[in-house]
Amino acid sequence: MGSVYRLTLRQLSGRWRLVIMTLLAALPVITATLTLRSTTAPTVAEFENAALSALLAGSIVPLVVLAIAAAAFSNEVEDRTLANLTLSPLPRWRIAVPKLLGVLTIAMPFAAVSAFGTAYVAFLADLRAAIAVTVAAVAAVALYGSAFTWLGLVTTQAIGVGLLYVVLWEGFFSGLVAGVRLLSIRHYAIALMHGVDPRRFAAGDHLSLPAALVVSAVVFAGFLWLSIRRLRRMDVP
Amino acid sequence: MTDSQAVIRVNGVSRWFGSVVAVSEMTFDVMPGITGLLGPNGAGKTTLLRMMTGLAATSTGTVTVFGEPVRDNPPLYRRIGVMSEHETVYGFMKGREFVTMMGQLRGVERLEEAVDRAIERVDLADAQHRPMGTYSRGMRQRMRLAATLVHEPEILILDEPLNGADPRQRVHFQHLLRELAGEGRTIVLSSHILEEVEQLAETVLLVVNGKLAASGGFRAIRAALDQRPYHVRVVCDAPRRLAALAVGIGSVEAVNLDPDGALIILSRRVLDLQLELPRLAQSAGISLRRVEPLDDSLESVFGYLVEG
Repeated sequence: MGSVYRLTLRQLSGRWRLVIMTLLAALPVITATLTLRSTTAPTVAEFENAALSALLAGSIVPLVVLAIAAAAFSNEVEDRTLANLTLSPLPRWRIAVPKLLGVLTIAMPFAAVSAFGTAYVAFLADLRAAIAVTVAAVAAVALYGSAFTWLGLVTTQAIGVGLLYVVLWEGFFSGLVAGVRLLSIRHYAIALMHGVDPRRFAAGDHLSLPAALVVSAVVFAGFLWLSIRRLRRMDVP
Repeated sequence: MTDSQAVIRVNGVSRWFGSVVAVSEMTFDVMPGITGLLGPNGAGKTTLLRMMTGLAATSTGTVTVFGEPVRDNPPLYRRIGVMSEHETVYGFMKGREFVTMMGQLRGVERLEEAVDRAIERVDLADAQHRPMGTYSRGMRQRMRLAATLVHEPEILILDEPLNGADPRQRVHFQHLLRELAGEGRTIVLSSHILEEVEQLAETVLLVVNGKLAASGGFRAIRAALDQRPYHVRVVCDAPRRLAALAVGIGSVEAVNLDPDGALIILSRRVLDLQLELPRLAQSAGISLRRVEPLDDSLESVFGYLVEG
């Protein structure tokens, strides 16, 4: 399992990929800093909507994870190197799990540091709020990671399909139709944030913390299971 | 060798993609030794090999290896080594790292020794610490073969393994394959180059348009083609007289005279010609200096089948 994990880390840690991710991760921190320096300081609700919901949860985290997770398998499919892994006697979960772990290892530090930095700056060193935002970001990385890793196995257009999901489903439809939020990773993450620090993030129509935890676990495990199943059944090029 | 000793058994296998039939109703057994899968590009060889390795599902039929279904059966890969036709490698990885990783994935014990042995076998010890992105095509192929051999598989399935090899590498590769077969392994190799298969394979599976056109030893395949014209070049001291006699043999279709005075006889049954021609020549007092088959090569057999 360690071989697949190490291979995945090397595949996904190309210099340009890391540079772009660093820039993306820095963006919400910079935005938060500039917002605080403006003459009209935002309310928590305004900040949450602008910097956390829209920028961090709505675009930065999913985009960072999409760029990494979609490549984990789809690059191997395109390069036709996936057979090196599937022609081994490893059970398929021992290929899917380290691939996903590799994705999380690369993506999580960027998302976590970005989330913590943004919240710490914005909430004037309120540690609990910063931790709540970080937990939400980490959960979002895990959920998007699991989903997009599977997506990379089922389509060579994983980036495009992932973008459609993030922009249309999570960004557009979930704002229009309340029921869509129940099928939105972004809203599970926001629900976790509210659950961890209800003092700071109390308002809204979010899921309860237990419900968010259960749904997140189901989504994470579900997409991982789909990846394993796909590895067993797909025609490997 | 009996059917029960078949290492790989392909039974009624077909595969189609939409309305395109890539492989149609193939049934054959593979025994220990070298088996050549021969056919033109697009004949269905790679699809067949992918089904034989479990990389692709069959639309109908079954493939078993050592009596077990090969599809969705990872433990079987401890006993199988597969080298696909695609030459893509992890360019950032050094050759030795690649072979080591493949050994780790296959649970090889005494890994370092196994890696040394595999790399030495393909004669790439000098280049093992270079990134594979810097390798020539032939070197990539050889290092991929080392990775295929690192777990000492009982079965080797090699898709177009000699692609990109220069003549020296080709000879080395052929020697290595014979050596591996001599160790009792079962080797299936595909090629569209007839010479390669003819030189290496004891058994040939001829694939044309997704169908198994012929199988068996090279000469057995030729014998199965007894409805095809068979060219024989005859050099003698009285070609015109012998030509007149040869047209009387029932299976002879045509007799032509070469510009250099040799006869080119087309026969549908080579056995008739072998028996009758010396007898006729002797009875007419004609001295036969040379009798040689012109198309007793796999290339001609292949050509007949493909053109037919």
